[in-house]
Amino acid sequence: MPLRWLNLFLALPLSAQYTFDQGQAFLKTYCLACHQPKSPAGGFALQRVSEEASLTSAAGRWTALAARVRNREMPPKGAPMPPLDQAEQFTAWVDASLRQKACADGPVAGPSMGRRLNRDEYSFTVRDLLDLHIDVARLFPVDGAGGEGFDNAAETLFLSPLLSEKYMDVARFVMDAAAKEYKPRERILVARPAKGVTEVQAARTILENFLPRAFRRPVSKTDVEPYVELFQAARKHGQPFEPAVFYTLRAVLASPMFVFLLEPANNTGAPRPLDPYALASRISYFLWGSMPDELLMDVAAAGKLNDPEVLRTLIPRMLRQERSLDFGQRFTGQWLRTRELTGDKAPDAKLFPQFAADEELRGDIRNQPGMFFREVMVQNQSVLSFIDSTHTIATSNMEKHFDLKLPLRRNQSKQPQWVELPANSRRGGLLGMPAVLAVSSYPYRTSPVLRGAWILDSILGTPPAPPPANVPELEEHKEGAPPKSMRERLSRHRADPVCASCHSRIDGLGFALENYDVIGRWRTEESGKPVDTSGELADGTAVQGPDGLRQVLMARKDLFVRNLTNKLLGYALGRGLTLKDSCAVDQIVDKVRQNDYKAHVLLEAIILSAPFQMQAPAPVPTRKEPVKK
Amino acid sequence: MISRRTLLRGTGVSLSLPWLETLAAAPKPSTPAKPPVRMAALYMPNGVNVPSWVPQGTGRDYTLSPTLEPLQDLKEDLTVLSNLWNANSKGGDGHYVKETAILTCLTIKKTQGADMANGISVDQVAAKSVAGQTPLPSLELGVTPVAIGVDAVVGYTRVYGSHIAWSDPTTPLAREINPKAVFERLFRAASGTGARTAKLDGMLLDRVLGDARRLRTQVSASDKIRLDEYLSVMRSLEERVQRAGAAKGNPWKPRVPMDPKAAPAEEPRDHAEHVKLMLDMIAVAFQTDTTRVATMMFGNAVSNVSFRFLEGVSAGHHDVSHHQNDANKLREYQLINKWHIAQLGYLLRKLRSMREGESTVLDNSMVLFCSALSDGNKHDPHKLPLVVGGHGGGRVNAGQHLTYADDSPLANLYVSMLDAFGVKLERFADSTGPLAGFLKEA
Repeated sequence: MPLRWLNLFLALPLSAQYTFDQGQAFLKTYCLACHQPKSPAGGFALQRVSEEASLTSAAGRWTALAARVRNREMPPKGAPMPPLDQAEQFTAWVDASLRQKACADGPVAGPSMGRRLNRDEYSFTVRDLLDLHIDVARLFPVDGAGGEGFDNAAETLFLSPLLSEKYMDVARFVMDAAAKEYKPRERILVARPAKGVTEVQAARTILENFLPRAFRRPVSKTDVEPYVELFQAARKHGQPFEPAVFYTLRAVLASPMFVFLLEPANNTGAPRPLDPYALASRISYFLWGSMPDELLMDVAAAGKLNDPEVLRTLIPRMLRQERSLDFGQRFTGQWLRTRELTGDKAPDAKLFPQFAADEELRGDIRNQPGMFFREVMVQNQSVLSFIDSTHTIATSNMEKHFDLKLPLRRNQSKQPQWVELPANSRRGGLLGMPAVLAVSSYPYRTSPVLRGAWILDSILGTPPAPPPANVPELEEHKEGAPPKSMRERLSRHRADPVCASCHSRIDGLGFALENYDVIGRWRTEESGKPVDTSGELADGTAVQGPDGLRQVLMARKDLFVRNLTNKLLGYALGRGLTLKDSCAVDQIVDKVRQNDYKAHVLLEAIILSAPFQMQAPAPVPTRKEPVKK
Repeated sequence: MISRRTLLRGTGVSLSLPWLETLAAAPKPSTPAKPPVRMAALYMPNGVNVPSWVPQGTGRDYTLSPTLEPLQDLKEDLTVLSNLWNANSKGGDGHYVKETAILTCLTIKKTQGADMANGISVDQVAAKSVAGQTPLPSLELGVTPVAIGVDAVVGYTRVYGSHIAWSDPTTPLAREINPKAVFERLFRAASGTGARTAKLDGMLLDRVLGDARRLRTQVSASDKIRLDEYLSVMRSLEERVQRAGAAKGNPWKPRVPMDPKAAPAEEPRDHAEHVKLMLDMIAVAFQTDTTRVATMMFGNAVSNVSFRFLEGVSAGHHDVSHHQNDANKLREYQLINKWHIAQLGYLLRKLRSMREGESTVLDNSMVLFCSALSDGNKHDPHKLPLVVGGHGGGRVNAGQHLTYADDSPLANLYVSMLDAFGVKLERFADSTGPLAGFLKEA
């Protein structure tokens, strides 16, 4: 379940007086005709949500109902439609009311979401486990994404026959490589048969050293002995000592204890703190996308991973490590969708030949958002730096691309680096970054609609509603008529009230970025005409150019911070957020706001939040209900 | 949440672990009495330019449309189908609901991922019916990676639009998009393994299955379901390894062995080459009987792959499909459709060139070309563009343009295709019976 309602709630002027009775009046007007008590449409009678108590007892009903209204699936075609503002007030009220009821008891532990490592995590973990620097991610199929939009979401990390083959193949590939390299061999072969040390004893020592690191928790004899037996069986099949060891470790890399992130069941019937080693993995897969290191395991053993004092030094330390670069790239690539730059969203090679030919520049552009994110985190800057900042990440290639003079370290100007931007550079924050500007364009031209929608979705967390089923077509282009400018064509969006209901919110934001072309270069003219960057927001606020846009977004900073928190928490938990998580989000956002929007405060608050630290009790198994159609 | 996820059934998974040296010892091919029937589905996103698609005339005496023109020399091998639709995909959004259900004919559950639900797809019904007879149960291919993220605007995880093959209602089948990796997988599967290797692989699988069983007792009910998925796919792998290690070795006898020298390059130069290489893999897999079932996605739902490499096309696929009746855009749309049809032609000709005793592989195949929309501009799931290439082992009454009453179920086609494949089904999804005229009278 998404948390979009919060965003809508904040985005829209919601009169505080909207009452339960008003909500009922809305339902009566638009829904009752079909959802009446006798043979209600779709088997759903409005009676079920007619009492205020139903906001708690039938929260799922309310959520579903609001989603149908918000997505304009209801009322159906042909029935009287509520005006958009009324529908939005209604759904915002439903969302706010549900949240209020759900939060009455404060933040709560989330559901247990065991999941497999995704391909990146598998690859990073192998790297850190073996000190073996090969990319095995590309050997696996690409993982889809769910929840808050990330490829670590438990919901969508399904297994398939292809993957079972890959686990076996990759394990063999990895161990073959490890057997040949010095560092991995040293890591693995911590014992060898010698005088007084039998082969089995040596193998046992090796496994006792390897398994706790591979399984990310202490191991018992029950864990180790079956692997010793496997080693012995391999020896019986004629494998010499070393090949038998590497063969045995292949099983480790395909074992569910390695492949899955799981937590021991909580059968206490009440929420309890998460198992400390599971917590250590949660933290390390959040900030590194990889296994916990020795220090984390030690802190876990001491039971200190819920101690704010400890986390206050642990988090910065983890961020400073190179591994947090992966966090920056993976998180921003999906949050901002800049990952798509190498796919459908790649700027057209014929129109931007220099860009297409210059892999160095393209690499710099792709890496900029992730490295910027990581630097903001490492330096404990304000997270509002994502909206506007005095610094950015740049290289000499980008300096040229920006047509700016930047104080780069000249002896290593090709290295991406944190630099101060000159006054009026228009490159502060995410919106000055070519990756962002390109991914919110068509490959061959900019689009104020795409960019506006991108800002609403990725920055403010208030994605526009889907277009109605029968989009009236933009007027046909008449053969021989002079081409109309994009602004002229889009003026239809404002003239037609059906279009205007959404596009008045979208287009104005996008026009403000028209000074940037598809690949993020600054322009003041387009096709010989001066670029017009003026726009108007739904509430009549005028926006002018990128700086004006930054001011508009800064005025909505709490909306942004909530969206960033939702995204980060969803990423940290590896699952979609639920209604109950929104209470934790409220608290995290408050904390961040009270602490100058500092990045470390945000990460610390996420790691200390109830859904991150606590484990809900396992539901009592019930008889399977028949699946309802 | 638990109740929505059903346990995976063993899906006759196959894996053969590498070891090239065993190829030399591979048993000599022998001729089966009757060549097996193969089934493939090639899926094109974003619909078609309708006026340019629909052929003129019906029955045997019809004229191929401008878009289908590249199939002229294959006309006797084709069945063009008009007016079928996928009723269960009519609601929801413009793409995910339609494209994900093209082979299942069901309504997918609207979700950002928590409780994905579709149904078993027609290709997987076929694959399960011949499980264990070929080294790989089926082949799932694509050219673009799984689309990332959730589509927040319409509220679906993009996992949906990236998968058309579903082995059960909650399990989309992962696709392979690297042609070299597909080739290696086919090669290993086809060449089998020696008894010793099989024994060692079996021991590894035994070990990890042991871990899974023990872990299962320690985790919550919902996590048990994850482990059951793991157990299921690993156990079927083990079964296959055991089969391969049996005294007689690999029981499968390819008519044409895989040629290791035919491996494609690691990185295709461009989209067009990438597509061709993937189609080559289907042809090779069918010819060598490494699998009898394949699905291939030319793109994900809402694919916006740039087709500017085609003379006269100025934009990405999805953008062009929203032609808004602009004459230029419609022309570009048709060019993109026609390009896809040319790819179908490429595969069909390739299969036709592969002799199989008295017949060709094309004679023994059914290659469905489909899109889940007719006019992409309107997201219309009526009158779907459908062509079947091949004769299904002589069962398909090819060489016709068959038109049906409006709103005839697409699922009827699947009932008939499954029949030719060897699966008799009373019903598939919303089918009302076999598709009249598609198969030859018995």
